[in-house]
Amino acid sequence: MALLTLARRRAALTARNPRQIAVPLLTPILFATVIAPALQTALGGLGTHIDYTAFVSIGTVGLLVPLATIFAGLSVIVDRDSGAQRELLAAPIPRRLLVFGNLLVALALSALQVAVLVAVAILRGANFDASATGALWFIGASILFTVFMYGVAETMASRMSQQEEYIAATPAVAILPWFFAGALFPIGALPVALTEFAKFLPLTHALALMRYGLLDSHGSGLNDIWGMSSTTAEAFLSLAVVLAFAVAFAALAVRSFTRSAVR
Amino acid sequence: MIDVRALRKTYPGGVEAVRDIDFDVAPGEVFGLLGPNGAGKSTTVGMLTTTIAPTGGSASLAGYDVVRQALDARRVSSVVFQEPVVDRALSGRAHLELHGRLWGVPSSRLAVAIADLVDALRLGELVDRAVGTYSGGERRRLEIARALVSRPRVLFLDEPTVGLDPRIRHELLDVIAGLRGDGEMTILLTTHYLDEAQRLCDRVAIIHLGEIVALDTPHALLAGLGAEILEMRIDGDGPAALAALRARGVANADSFAVGSTLTVPLHDRTAAQAIAVIDAANLAASRITTRTPTLDDVYLRLTGDQMAEAA
Repeated sequence: MALLTLARRRAALTARNPRQIAVPLLTPILFATVIAPALQTALGGLGTHIDYTAFVSIGTVGLLVPLATIFAGLSVIVDRDSGAQRELLAAPIPRRLLVFGNLLVALALSALQVAVLVAVAILRGANFDASATGALWFIGASILFTVFMYGVAETMASRMSQQEEYIAATPAVAILPWFFAGALFPIGALPVALTEFAKFLPLTHALALMRYGLLDSHGSGLNDIWGMSSTTAEAFLSLAVVLAFAVAFAALAVRSFTRSAVR
Repeated sequence: MIDVRALRKTYPGGVEAVRDIDFDVAPGEVFGLLGPNGAGKSTTVGMLTTTIAPTGGSASLAGYDVVRQALDARRVSSVVFQEPVVDRALSGRAHLELHGRLWGVPSSRLAVAIADLVDALRLGELVDRAVGTYSGGERRRLEIARALVSRPRVLFLDEPTVGLDPRIRHELLDVIAGLRGDGEMTILLTTHYLDEAQRLCDRVAIIHLGEIVALDTPHALLAGLGAEILEMRIDGDGPAALAALRARGVANADSFAVGSTLTVPLHDRTAAQAIAVIDAANLAASRITTRTPTLDDVYLRLTGDQMAEAA
């Protein structure tokens, strides 16, 4: 009950700030609808059966979710500096619920944004190849990756005293990994050292799972990571990796928030 | 209802904000915590509302320990914070409903409670507007209404009138005075406006540098200074002049100087007797008046120069 009350409050605040919903969508949609088709025309795509526009559209989910969750984390700082956070801290509820209430809204908002992104990509001509099972892989990976990224954002928000400090850290946290995680090209196209580095990024695993679900039932992205014969086993392994990051950073976020809430 | 024993807060870096304070507040009592800025008032309220962790001692609200039973302690209390603590984009009603739901007010009672408070605090024309459009006084009224939605057994008012213009301040004092009528609620008020404490509080504790330096009813604290006070402005060194008056037996230990202004409780002397001694001591005074003591005098005597800096 308290959790839903907190989520409703966060949703009401978010709804009154449409920029928080629209701005994270702009760059991913630009990539999916303009840059990906242009790259496909100029470079000929991936040279496989996979549609490059669809490939990049999924890749841009890896940009959209971090941007959306970083925005959500910024709201936590605003709450603390000029909002009603102290009233919530004085409420007779476990303080971890404040984190989970915000997380619920971040998940709902990310789901909406991802749906818009995929719809726009389809309208632009992207070809997906999804089954019901595939959609579940996509949804599972998206949810866990969002939980992980929100955990990162909330942890940063709790540990950084000023908005400027938080915003300065955003490119390194939300954008830099995207270039190494196989968003625009398979990780095998990177130099060997960077390919190995990419395998440690949760985003690499999340994107490979999302593509496995919506685009590529052969799981070539998963195979680039694990090199195993069973795609299903690779998918479960990558899901476990993203799950581990999600659980670890959600726990870290709760710990950071509750520690920062009490001086 | 509020029980504080040897409560201490030392912040990282060694700053001792609160040093082993003791006090208790009876059910239905209005208790004032007075002190200059930085005296430790807000830290004390922070510990009692479980947003600051004590480093020593104990405190309880309605029998619930604020550390070991923090949820229960929060369930029986509400706070009106010193700074605005609102979501500017949300309506006043959304704030009232949020508080009611988080404090577990049954839905059947919540609408009635909100309607009553909106009426009592004259929020009718405001309550469905975004709080960002409220004036300072309107926002304060909303915050008081919010704190009352859950009918707390303990209400904390942390400098509730700071920064408000005099008219709105007096309106709010009237609202707070109205809360006294509800004998079920215990109120802890922090302020550095002495007239507020004198008007509202059954007892006051004066806190200075993290320690309680006086605790009694306003009447008893005033009685300690006698019936009349002589106040004089000296052309020269105030503390030196005070020392001269003390040497001549006119000023007791409860006299004090703030800058060039001396405040001398007369006790069993008359003003004429005191002025004669001042003349004999060749003290050049530009202004001499007599008046009855106020809580300001008690406060200034106990907190000295720091109060002057804070004022």
